[in-house]
Amino acid sequence: MNQKNWLWAFLLPGALALASCAKERLINEPGNLVPKTVMEDASIPAITVNGATLHTEAFGHPDSTMVVVIHGGPGSDYRALLNCKELAQEGYRVVFYDQRGSGLSERFSADFYESLGAELVSLFYDDLHALIGHYRTHPGQKVILIGDSWGGMLAAGYAGRRPGEVQGLAVSEPGGLKWDDVAEYVKRSRSFKLWSEILNDATYLDQFITGDEDEHQILDYKMGLHSSVNEITGEGVHAANLFWRNGAACNASLIGAGQEYEPDFSEGLDQFGAPVLFFYTEKNAAYQLPWAQKVSAPFRHVELFEITGVGHSEMYTVGQVWNNVTKPKLLTFLQSF
Amino acid sequence: MKSLISSFRIILLILSVQTLQAQMLNWAGGPDGFRHLFRASVGLEHGAILGIAYGYKVNMGPFPAVLTAEYSMPLGQDFPDDFKLRAGAQIRWAEAGDFRFSTNVNGIFRRYENSYARIENFGCEVSGALGYYRPGWYLAGEFGFDKAIVSHFRHSASYRESFPGVIDGWYEPATGGNFFYGLQAGVSFGKQDIFLRAGRLISEDFKSAPALPFYGQLGYNVRI
Repeated sequence: MNQKNWLWAFLLPGALALASCAKERLINEPGNLVPKTVMEDASIPAITVNGATLHTEAFGHPDSTMVVVIHGGPGSDYRALLNCKELAQEGYRVVFYDQRGSGLSERFSADFYESLGAELVSLFYDDLHALIGHYRTHPGQKVILIGDSWGGMLAAGYAGRRPGEVQGLAVSEPGGLKWDDVAEYVKRSRSFKLWSEILNDATYLDQFITGDEDEHQILDYKMGLHSSVNEITGEGVHAANLFWRNGAACNASLIGAGQEYEPDFSEGLDQFGAPVLFFYTEKNAAYQLPWAQKVSAPFRHVELFEITGVGHSEMYTVGQVWNNVTKPKLLTFLQSF
Repeated sequence: MKSLISSFRIILLILSVQTLQAQMLNWAGGPDGFRHLFRASVGLEHGAILGIAYGYKVNMGPFPAVLTAEYSMPLGQDFPDDFKLRAGAQIRWAEAGDFRFSTNVNGIFRRYENSYARIENFGCEVSGALGYYRPGWYLAGEFGFDKAIVSHFRHSASYRESFPGVIDGWYEPATGGNFFYGLQAGVSFGKQDIFLRAGRLISEDFKSAPALPFYGQLGYNVRI
């Protein structure tokens, strides 16, 4: 083969690749790589409150004490918390919802979130308030919030701003209630070793798939691929991470707003006198007793409770722990109201 | 379409065995008569990367070219679940004094795998470099575009537990693309070069950036 032929042999693969652009299947088509949201699939249970259509379900008698389950992330969804549905069989009205921009709920643009500036977190408080209002059947109906991780931060912030609206909180490992604590926890709970598989899996993907900042199907898919095992926090070690669909724009916008405006999730908690059950886990190396004591300090009446043998968020997903530890403890707490 | 992709894949794999790549080259350095070029490098490009390459110089009259191929992979415990093969040609098109302009066109096959998915992609990278080349050293600016043209997705049972309806298979048109721009510099001594290149990456929408928004590469060439 002469040298010019060699050159063509090398250029041929690129030419073939460029010529192979017939339409076949799109990564940004809803339902291909990630599930459709409530906006694309009318069969998904949903309500529209505060300008957002939220994926939500409620179980139990409508007039019973309301237990609102708030998922973590930001940008995760309530699938991992579905064991809490069993509380309905114990006489409670259990309400689940995917926060706006998360799970199967409606997506919003990054520009929309950014336009709210420092008020972005308040939007999520307002969504929660509207959700409670939607399901409340009578003025005397008690409301207890269960918040996991970011959901715990959101629950605390909501209780501080509306202390009369909430009769109790059960939170599990909120990263922090002061922004400095959040930043420190995030730093301690992630491995940033340059040679680690986790970091390279997270960064290597960017040359395969890119999406505009509002191409939610693509961005949510990429975020979902990153949500694997975390050896530091123990998340996903003893039970699989369960989710429907991540919310990447929501996640990035809330983290960005946090870094820029440093929201205080403990604001108003000095006025919140209701009991707080505070879970932390043995296998979360970044969330041991001293850290739990520090984060929970703004609560006036708090009970710290360590769940052994599992890591972050796993008190809801590991069946044996849920049945033998988490659920009985929650029921004891709920029965005190 | 599938047969075309399969053909493309076979050709690329054959080429990757026959030749390997070298992108960084001092066009003014060392003996003109070299035929083979071997390279090893470490760097950052969507991860911490190790790479090896081979180049075969061909004389095309006024446009000297090096047929190139490279294998690179990110560091990590699960070897070799992720890797990239590049095969193509670097051609010097213009020369004015000590200034030279060259382009680099590569076909790419790359693979990514984690506990949720395996993605195989065929892509194309086109770049240009304009620089000042002396026998003992060179400095050049570079600009290029890396396009992920068509990708095959296969998802694990773990991901299907989250989304049973996920659709495996070939996805097109383009699934992604990143521009890159930066500087490259090198020193040459005898039949050897040491080079360094660094720059920034930006996604094709010109708004967002990859999680690792910069790249860098330190390499060593031997010319025979």
